[in-house]
This record gives sequence, structure tokens and C-alpha cells, in this order.
Amino acid sequence: MSYFRITLHRSAIGLPKRTRGVLAALGLHKRSQVVYHPVEPQFAGMIMKVKELVRVDEVDKKLSKWEVHMERKPDPGFYVESAVRRMEDGRAGQGNEGERVVVEGLRTEGGEEVRL
Amino acid sequence: MFGAFRTTSSLGGGLLWKIPWRLSPHQKYRHRQRLRAVDKVVETVANALAKKGETLKAVERWQAEMPTEAEMLPKDKYTIFDRKEKKYRKGIHKLPKWTRVSQRVNPPGY
Repeated sequence: MSYFRITLHRSAIGLPKRTRGVLAALGLHKRSQVVYHPVEPQFAGMIMKVKELVRVDEVDKKLSKWEVHMERKPDPGFYVESAVRRMEDGRAGQGNEGERVVVEGLRTEGGEEVRL
Repeated sequence: MFGAFRTTSSLGGGLLWKIPWRLSPHQKYRHRQRLRAVDKVVETVANALAKKGETLKAVERWQAEMPTEAEMLPKDKYTIFDRKEKKYRKGIHKLPKWTRVSQRVNPPGY
């Protein structure tokens, strides 16, 4: 099933109420917002009403809001090879190292308690 | 004649907006880009519907009546018919909301 990926590119400020109504019906409320609608004449007709304001692509898959957000996010320029366990605040050098602490949800594979 | 009390149109009448009589080359460039963007939207919609075997009156009518950006004459791209103007033409930027409305055809013969 294919979808129209519709992005609101131009704002509808100052345009007729009918035009703004069409955008609201498409679910577009602010610029750069992305919505997906199936390829059907009724949605095609709505796009034709606001063709000057939107950008349209035909896509095979709907992306979630989060995926659309991640698409827009720039590359951070680094990646974490392996996460390092962090020392808890204020614990270092207080003499209670080696204390046995059971942390919920944090257990080794053998079911042993974890030393912090 | 000079100084703070000179009579210019902006001081005499309050608000005065001036719209230049012609578009700048960059305005014309951006206008062409906008025309092309609209062409692209219509094309995408038409292709998507054609794949499903559907047709839409709005799309057919647009394709029958409206020239694409490449087919348009410069005269129609950058000016618009106006019966009150000398030589019946004025810049398209005088049209309200001209960057967000489709104005491509003019009366035949003008």
C-alpha cells in the first residue's frame, strides 16, 4: 500500500478559511509537519486544494512521528563503541567500597548480586 | 521644502507602502522555483493515482488548462492582465498572496 507523504511547506496565514480547513482536515497544523495519507482520490483532491503550500512524495511505508523526527536530526559526529559503567556520585573514596548492594533489575547472568 | 517639516508622501499621508513596478531577477528565480514545485506536486499526485488506476477531475482539469512552468511564456510568468493598466499588464507581485496562489493563464489576446 502506498501513501502520500505530505509536508506543510508554506503557512496558510491570510488565506481563505476553506484552504485552512483543508489543511486542518489533512492534519497539518504547523510548517514542516509531516502527515501520511493513503493514495486515494479523496486525499488527492485535498492535496490539489493546497498544492501551493505542501510538498508531496509517494512512499511505500508510513513512518512514525519519532522516525520522522530522527530523519531530521543531524549526525552528532560521534558514536559510543561500548558503554562504560559509571561511578555513582559521592561514592568514590568514602570507604564503603565492597559493600554488597542489591540493585533491582541489575543482576548478573548467574543470578548473583552485583557489587557496586 | 527641506528638514523635518518637508512634505513627502510618507510624512503627509502616514502609511505609505511602495511596491516596485517590476520583479528583481532573484524574485523571478524564486517564483520559477515555486511554479516548478506546484508542477511537481500535481505530477506526483497524478502518477500515484495512475498507478492505482484512478483518475481525479481536479488533476485532469489542471493538466488540461494550466501550462507547466516550462511551457509558460515569460510574459505570463511575471505579469498579469489588468484592465486598468497601461498596455493591460502589471507585475505578478501586485497580486495579493502572489507566492501562494496559482495564476498562470490570462485572457486570450492580452
